[in-house]
Amino acid sequence: MNIGMSDVTLLGHAVFGIAGTLAALWVFVEALNAREENASRIRKSAAAAAISMCAACVLGGYWYLSFYPAEKAIVLRGPWPLAHTLFMETKEHLFFLTLILALYLPVAAAERLYANPAARAMVLCVALSIVVTGIVIEGAGAIIDHSVKIALLGSR
Amino acid sequence: MNPEAPRLGRATAAFALSASIAILFNTLLACVKDAVPQLSRFMNALAGHNWTTQGLADVTLFFALGLVLMKTGLPQEVTPRKLISFLTASVVLASIGLASWYALF
Repeated sequence: MNIGMSDVTLLGHAVFGIAGTLAALWVFVEALNAREENASRIRKSAAAAAISMCAACVLGGYWYLSFYPAEKAIVLRGPWPLAHTLFMETKEHLFFLTLILALYLPVAAAERLYANPAARAMVLCVALSIVVTGIVIEGAGAIIDHSVKIALLGSR
Repeated sequence: MNPEAPRLGRATAAFALSASIAILFNTLLACVKDAVPQLSRFMNALAGHNWTTQGLADVTLFFALGLVLMKTGLPQEVTPRKLISFLTASVVLASIGLASWYALF
């Protein structure tokens, strides 16, 4: 089995993206029932979401700049060029939105959510936004990945 | 504003507003750099790739604006409901804006 740097970087990017999305979902569920007892867990999950999304950004950015141009050429020549022109272009810019929300989440989660309904509503809103945009980005990644596969299978 | 109503902390309110603005700025910059090749080339020259420059600009704007707003304390005067609505609207508008831009242009 030959696992290259491109594979490690790309899969690491996806793993951290999913981890960040799941951490945000965890924050959302805990914040629904915010109490003094789970305040520390909420803050740790929010920090995990921010760290995971930063790692996903660094790995994804490195892969996008170093390895994607070759795949982009395959996608554009294949039957699904929209996978690049729409899905990749949207994904690579939508990710910054998720990253900003993930960086903000620990700031909002530092409040005493069990005593402050306004801060709790803010955390719920931010966490849910990370989950939704995270799922959309993962889905776009799957479409891009599949478009490379069908382009290569079609050329055989 | 009702003084008894729950308020957001100084940092939470300031960074909520800066996050909303940075999110809208990100979508605007993505569209403008596509429409103006000179800007895209300039961004390529700044950090090696326009995508990298855009990411650095977004994160810098988020932190710098958040710190400035935190110092002024002004976002705390805005009701939490308005801040949450503005952030949610920014996320929805920016997402739809990006997808529409790349679908149509």
